[in-house]
Amino acid sequence: MSKYLLLVFIVALLGWYLSFSATRLDRLHHRVETSWANLDGLLQRRAAVAIEIARSEISDPASSMLLTFAAHQARDASVRNRSQAETGLTGALGILLENAQDFSTPNEQELLRELQDLTEKIKMAISIHVDSVNRTYMVRGKWLIRTFRLAGTAPEPVVYEFEGDVL
Amino acid sequence: MPLTKKRIGIVCPYGWDTPGGVQSHVGDLAEYLIGQGHYVSVLAPAIDDASLPEYVTSAGRPISIPYNGAVARVLFGPIAFNRVKQWIGAGDFDLLHLHEPAIPSISLLACWAAEGPMVGTFHAAATRQRVAFAVTPILEPVIEKLSARIAVSEAARETLQIHLDTDAIVVPNGIYAKRFDHAVIDSRWTGNTIGFIGRFEEPRKGLEIIVAALPEIILTLPDVRVLVAGPGDADAFLKDVDPSLRSRFTFLGRISEEEKANFMASVGVYVAPNTGGESFGIILAEALAAGASVVASDIPAFDSLLAHGEFGTLFSSEDANDLARKIVSLLVDPAAHVEKAKKGRQYAQSFDWDVVAEKIYDVYEMAMVGRTGITLSSDIRAWNRFIGRRT
Repeated sequence: MSKYLLLVFIVALLGWYLSFSATRLDRLHHRVETSWANLDGLLQRRAAVAIEIARSEISDPASSMLLTFAAHQARDASVRNRSQAETGLTGALGILLENAQDFSTPNEQELLRELQDLTEKIKMAISIHVDSVNRTYMVRGKWLIRTFRLAGTAPEPVVYEFEGDVL
Repeated sequence: MPLTKKRIGIVCPYGWDTPGGVQSHVGDLAEYLIGQGHYVSVLAPAIDDASLPEYVTSAGRPISIPYNGAVARVLFGPIAFNRVKQWIGAGDFDLLHLHEPAIPSISLLACWAAEGPMVGTFHAAATRQRVAFAVTPILEPVIEKLSARIAVSEAARETLQIHLDTDAIVVPNGIYAKRFDHAVIDSRWTGNTIGFIGRFEEPRKGLEIIVAALPEIILTLPDVRVLVAGPGDADAFLKDVDPSLRSRFTFLGRISEEEKANFMASVGVYVAPNTGGESFGIILAEALAAGASVVASDIPAFDSLLAHGEFGTLFSSEDANDLARKIVSLLVDPAAHVEKAKKGRQYAQSFDWDVVAEKIYDVYEMAMVGRTGITLSSDIRAWNRFIGRRT
């Protein structure tokens, strides 16, 4: 009799733990979605600012071309190519700003300030996102979660290899 | 700064009545955010409910437990847990900001009980904790719920990486840098003076180390004086000090914020000889903002704050001989250190609340993207829905 009780207890405990793990994993998938939405939004804004800069007086025609091209590429990149495209945009912005003279017009100063602001935020967003992706991978890799397929149909998060310093 | 006003809940794990770095950080942050027009509620343990500021809710009386080499006044247990749940349920928050969620406290309970955008700030920089690996499996699923983590220093970030295998954004603690811009040099405190601020009766604040270093300093600087500000029983302290040294000590008692700025700007050298238990070292940031020449022990928090000695002088912690050498070299030739103090002053501006709170709010915004507010986890658990239970 007590054997069966023990069995029931173990099954109940396992059931609880599976439900707990499923909730935990679901929450992590949620976190990845949120952190990506946030990072994506910031990167889109950066591309928009880059195009503005390309149109402004900061940029000479050649740099404008390069920058506009990089910005559009970053905007249109598929999820898996995103990281590379964004790094390309970073490079294009870097080249331009390195050789830039001092800009006295308020419009240009405003643009540069906005870019700097975004860069700071993107750095934070990357760190948040990379952490949530790593966490999710770690939990998905646990054998209990793999055995019982607790991840269900949720797609594997894409690992982004962003360069540590965006700018 | 904000386009929309938010409802923010902040949880402080340590007793509100006891002065401490985390408590004053939480208080300043709450006041700053309220000043920006947000609704802020702070949940903290407290002994005396009557003396709490309007925005603080008491979670009950704190209990003293030894933790991480010091006595922590925290709170947990079933009654506290209920209070936490009540506060979360009634607050209708958009975001929770939990301080030090990795210690047994109401912050951890709140993290356990809530669902939604949460930000955690990690203050402690522990060099080693052998029990850490044993509690990690319990902590991990809880800490994982945080949408974003903040560490107050590089040292705290490393601690987090080692113990919980997770990264954090470094946002320092804040100071009101403007208060220190207008500091006035007070001639009572200038000359060959060593300044110290803190509860000097506590051994970990390290005033004893200055006492031990004094004889060696006197050999080179016969007129050196030690100025001590902060609450405590001066006579009891002096009883244990060599009688020939007693006359060199001046105890100022508790001083106001304005006096503190003047004090730091006036003393020959400001010394922070703390032996440990320091999470950030806000007092050093303030001393730098006042333009003081700073000497600090090389504990992780101070080492990190002073960027390994770039903005102030570090001495080997608890080594009185080393401290004496460093103090003498600063007092004998102040001109040589003017450049460092100037750089330190510049650097201290990055700790100003205007900069720090803006950064913290950026993190809030990132955590809140596309998410609805805070709910209790017990509300969404399947079996509770099934039996129609609501907490």
